[in-house]
Amino acid sequence: MSVIESTAAVVSNRRVRVIAVMMGVLGVFSLIVFAVGSPSVAHSSFLFNPVNLSESAPWHVGTLTLNSRLADLVLALIMIGLAVETYVRRPARGVMVRFGGVAVLFLLTLLIWAARTPGPSPVSFVNLTALLIGSSEVTMVLVFGSLSGVMCERSGVVNIAIEGQFIGGAFVGSMLASTTHNFFYAAIGGALIGGAIGWILAFFALRYLSDQIIVGVVLVTMLGSLSSYLNLQVFTPFPQYNTGNLAPNLAIPLLSKIPVLGPVLFNQSGFFYLMLVLIGVISFALFKTRYGLHVRAVGEHPRAAATVGIDVVRVRYINVILGGAIAGIGGVAFMASQGQFQPNYTSGLGYIALAAMIFGRWRPSGAVVASVIFGLSVYLSYTLTSYQVPVSLYILQMFPYLITIAVVAGLIGRVRAPAADGVAYQHD
Amino acid sequence: MRLELRGITKRFGSFTANDRIDLTVEPGQIHSLLGENGAGKTTLMNVLFGLLHPDEGEILIDGEPVRFANSGDAVRRGIGMVHQHFMLVPVFSVTENVVLGFEPTKSLNRVDYKRATEDIVRLSAQFNLQVDPDATVENLPVGLQQRVEILKALSRDAELLILDEPTAVLTPQETDALMAIMRSLAEAGKSILFITHKLKEVRAVADVITVIRNGRVVGSAEPTATEGELASLMVGRDVELTVEKSAFSPGENVFEIRDLVVRDDRGLVKVNGVSLDVRAGEIMALAGVQGNGQTELVEAIAGMRHVESGTILLNGRDVTNKTPREVLDAGLGHIPEDRQRDGLVLSMSVADNLVLNTPRRAPFARRGTRNLAAVHDNAQKQVRDFDIRTTSVDEPVASLSGGNQQKVIVARELSRPLAFLMASQPTRGLDVGSIEYVHRQMVNHRNQGNAALIVSSELDEVLALGDRIAVMFDGRISGIVDPTTSREAIGLLMAGTAGATDE
Amino acid sequence: MSEVATEPAPSAPSSAASAARRRWRLNSRSPIMITFYALLLGLVVGALVIITTTPAVLDAWRGIFHSGGGIFHALKVTWDNVGAAYRAMFNGSVVNPVSLWHSVTTGQNWEATLTPLSETLTYATPLIITSLGVGIAFQTGLFNIGANGQAVLGGVAGAMFGSMVHMPMFFHLPLTLLCGFAGGAIAGLVPGVLKAYTGAHEVIVTIMFNYVIYAFLLFSVLSTPFQLPGQQNDISRTIDPSAQLHPLFGVASGLRVNYGVVVAALVVAFAWWFLERSSMGFDFRVTGANPAAAKASGINAKAVIILVFVISGGLSGLAGIVQAASTTHYIDGGFLIGSAGIGFTAITVALLGRNKPGGIVWASLLFAALGVGGRAMQGATGIPLDLASVIQSAIVLFVATPVLVKEIFRLKSAPVAKLELATKGWGA
Repeated sequence: MSVIESTAAVVSNRRVRVIAVMMGVLGVFSLIVFAVGSPSVAHSSFLFNPVNLSESAPWHVGTLTLNSRLADLVLALIMIGLAVETYVRRPARGVMVRFGGVAVLFLLTLLIWAARTPGPSPVSFVNLTALLIGSSEVTMVLVFGSLSGVMCERSGVVNIAIEGQFIGGAFVGSMLASTTHNFFYAAIGGALIGGAIGWILAFFALRYLSDQIIVGVVLVTMLGSLSSYLNLQVFTPFPQYNTGNLAPNLAIPLLSKIPVLGPVLFNQSGFFYLMLVLIGVISFALFKTRYGLHVRAVGEHPRAAATVGIDVVRVRYINVILGGAIAGIGGVAFMASQGQFQPNYTSGLGYIALAAMIFGRWRPSGAVVASVIFGLSVYLSYTLTSYQVPVSLYILQMFPYLITIAVVAGLIGRVRAPAADGVAYQHD
Repeated sequence: MRLELRGITKRFGSFTANDRIDLTVEPGQIHSLLGENGAGKTTLMNVLFGLLHPDEGEILIDGEPVRFANSGDAVRRGIGMVHQHFMLVPVFSVTENVVLGFEPTKSLNRVDYKRATEDIVRLSAQFNLQVDPDATVENLPVGLQQRVEILKALSRDAELLILDEPTAVLTPQETDALMAIMRSLAEAGKSILFITHKLKEVRAVADVITVIRNGRVVGSAEPTATEGELASLMVGRDVELTVEKSAFSPGENVFEIRDLVVRDDRGLVKVNGVSLDVRAGEIMALAGVQGNGQTELVEAIAGMRHVESGTILLNGRDVTNKTPREVLDAGLGHIPEDRQRDGLVLSMSVADNLVLNTPRRAPFARRGTRNLAAVHDNAQKQVRDFDIRTTSVDEPVASLSGGNQQKVIVARELSRPLAFLMASQPTRGLDVGSIEYVHRQMVNHRNQGNAALIVSSELDEVLALGDRIAVMFDGRISGIVDPTTSREAIGLLMAGTAGATDE
Repeated sequence: MSEVATEPAPSAPSSAASAARRRWRLNSRSPIMITFYALLLGLVVGALVIITTTPAVLDAWRGIFHSGGGIFHALKVTWDNVGAAYRAMFNGSVVNPVSLWHSVTTGQNWEATLTPLSETLTYATPLIITSLGVGIAFQTGLFNIGANGQAVLGGVAGAMFGSMVHMPMFFHLPLTLLCGFAGGAIAGLVPGVLKAYTGAHEVIVTIMFNYVIYAFLLFSVLSTPFQLPGQQNDISRTIDPSAQLHPLFGVASGLRVNYGVVVAALVVAFAWWFLERSSMGFDFRVTGANPAAAKASGINAKAVIILVFVISGGLSGLAGIVQAASTTHYIDGGFLIGSAGIGFTAITVALLGRNKPGGIVWASLLFAALGVGGRAMQGATGIPLDLASVIQSAIVLFVATPVLVKEIFRLKSAPVAKLELATKGWGA
């Protein structure tokens, strides 16, 4: 609301401090709970080889064993140091990078503590590679979602319907993958349904100037209920349309042999590679090309764009439809990592993707970094129970959402959205 | 380029904004289009630039009829426009802004920024319009931003430049520089259509003057015409901008600010150590070009903006950094600069708007429940007393004309007990009748022994109303003078070139 | 675009004035027609969904090309299926004409005849309360999409008090309801404070909060004090009879309609007074219609934002405990969860009712009837009840876009009142 705008500048400095305090709290928490909480004799081991040693297994790397308390102590002190530095210097740039770094260090200290031996955990090691592979599924979906957000919001349309595009893509993708046994067709289908939902959003927002957020939310509701309807009406009587379909991994020769990076980046499904390509293509298109210049102009100052002959409405249509298609493919990718469609199983990932986009300052590269952090925290919240952490699974599951809230609260006003984002454009 | 408009008519619903307008601009000519706010100038320019489509009439370029589907068509035919509100993307660089829509590209659709920059440097040199091509536009001063707009038009080979109220945001000195640029462009063979409502500028620079009123061309004049002749053409009668005031007999200090420092939304210091006092029975007029900190000063006084240092005293009470509620309760009457944004809730009724800042005061509410009958009665009374033209007090205020909307605010503020009235640009965009009405109300208020601060960028208004005139430049008071001071002297103060002189 | 531009250019003051006057006049009558047409269009969308997903109907249409089945046969099958579905909906939510005739003529079986209406009222009761909360937020320009989570937390808080504290009904029932209100208010307070002090967009924060609360719900019904003793499942203790909302006509009547109706009526009266007559409500409406003017006229925007969320969340929480105390008397892990959760329906109800108390009552009854009828339809025809929620979203999409409705029905294209909602872009 604009009432808060007038204090934005004053707040902005304060906000850096708030972020620094948040970083400091994480550091102190690591220090007290994780470092001090580990017995001085305990040690934690890191493994770097994937669990599943198939023919494309990377070159073997040994185990790294650290004293738990010492390792956590060092990492916690680094976190506190970063927090203090941020608080004192209040750097104009790189606050987000520091915050992201502290978040990653926090997860590391947590893991070292959880895997301490002797300790309550039956699992005495942390398999970093397995962890990254495991979280890469969620990360990938978030990247697709946040790229979709970047496409739409850079042109000035808030796409809050990403969640709905995930659902639509997952449904259609499962149906096509089950019937054609070809994930290429599934991806095309997902792109079409996502693009169609994007078109509906654009149609209401651009032609009828309806409130973009309301249309988006109603679309999510509609897709949610439509998919559970169809799930009962189609998938239940005809289960052959929703069979288990995991997208196969395609190992890239040689590259996939690199320890840690190989299995995480180069022994993945086609969707993962498509995501990598999209990150590059969208960054290039937005910031280097004539098309990208037009898109950003339309998102910042549509009238100025219109006066130089750019068709604002057309650019927005194109971007919202393309953005929808990307989110639709994201839905297929999610389905292909889960094996089949289930109603409501995206559980808010579309909204987390939007938060990742904000965290990444409406840039593809930033969105990717944010998605990795969110992906890790979502994955960890499910896997930490295997370490017998003395906290309920359900409490742990709150964390990705709480982090999203913290990010949105800490960053908005500091990072700058495209000026015309979410504002209806009306031609004279 | 020779441009001819024949019988251009543009209607919005039942309202005719342009009525059979004829106009011819010869090559190398500076043609001035003079008219009041709301006379239809901007509509005409938007028609000419392809942003609006005329309902009737035709546009001829070098004798050949043209039709513009959009502004791109107009640009391709050699028409360039410098908009009143700059059409620049603030976060883009100068280069990005200049090439936007007409980018030189290399392979893969990439923008060729190297070539673009070279073109800009060359063009700047050719027309003497220096500007750093890599600077981000939002960091440039207003005068330079305007230069970017002109460069943008020239880079598209504009033969006819439309300048829409280009001096509204400039200092007198920047205005002079612009005039020089306009003359040199005309000498280079470019045609210029200069839209304004400022008589002096027209006389200084125009070759031909066309005056429009209520959407019609009412006459043309030579630049040798006197200001009085032009003014009466523009408003359709002899205007009397001076208001009769009773003798000036100031009383006690009612309002005082000391060393005020205020920042804008981006954290820049906009008010930099301002001190000012206003006495009972006095109108202090605050003159200055828009954007020199007046807006921030007013917002700070009204409690809407944080004061970094300094004090504001109202009737002896310290109201520095108090909430708007506390400042209003301390007796401030505020007529805000942007009346539709800050002064009114357009979708609500006239009656509700008349109690907008006193909804809890007796008799309008009792113990948290509103007394709608009292609100209604109050509205009936104000509508009568202040001559607000509305079919009913239950109409949404959006349905009133601009002048009547302003009367709603004036009625609301002047009908409650005030210690001090602050009015910001109180007559901007109003018709002459409403201007006179508002002026009379302000002077009556002062004649009854009340204090007022009137902020205006219209020099005529400042001279007509002020008992003393404070001039603001770059966040400071560059001088406080009495209303007999010459326009030139005040102009120098507005440009910050003269040292601060106490009255 | 120019043909849909309803606003004249700003340089035309007198035409703007007359347009606004016309709009005002239409406001009093036209929305009702728009709503009616939107309802009709929603039912058409539902019919299309039935047609394209029911095998019998599809077979009949395919039959036109293959076997001798003519187009009339196909139309008849379509009509039969769609008709049966909607008839079941009506009979299940309003009254079954056959049963009514039987009861009128014989004076017997009134219970069965009145059950549909009773069910609709039972379902509408908490919906009205939540929707008023959402509507008050909308009127203030805020989008409370977290009503569902707030209702859940209200239900949990109220049920805890109702089941674990024991006292006479005179104290127990009001205090239980108050606990429900408080639970929802706390859930609303957090996004309100974050919005007021950091500018965090309430849509993302409240959605994330929904998931946090769902996790908390599971945690609470699976943890010792609240979980039903001797149970391993996700089910809570039972609310004491002294804290229950009993059936209006006694348990023996078999009709579930209960004293929650009284609570809802009180809330409607309060909401009407608050929005239409109270000074604070006036502040809220001014803030919603023009935040800048609100600030200039001395309204404390931060306080308003926080209060709105407390009231809005509190009403949702009240709805949650009304739901639990009147029907199930306990809470389980699936309490109010799902895409058709009460909080999401409430958003659509508030939009349909144009955020006015009277409109919300009618819209709640309509959507309750659709929901209850949907269940009856599922029982009678096997068409999943999610269809009801699809129809609801479609109706709202059309209501939010009156121009489209007018175009479809070729109504005179006078300017229409847009739903004036002030959801803006991210931070600002």
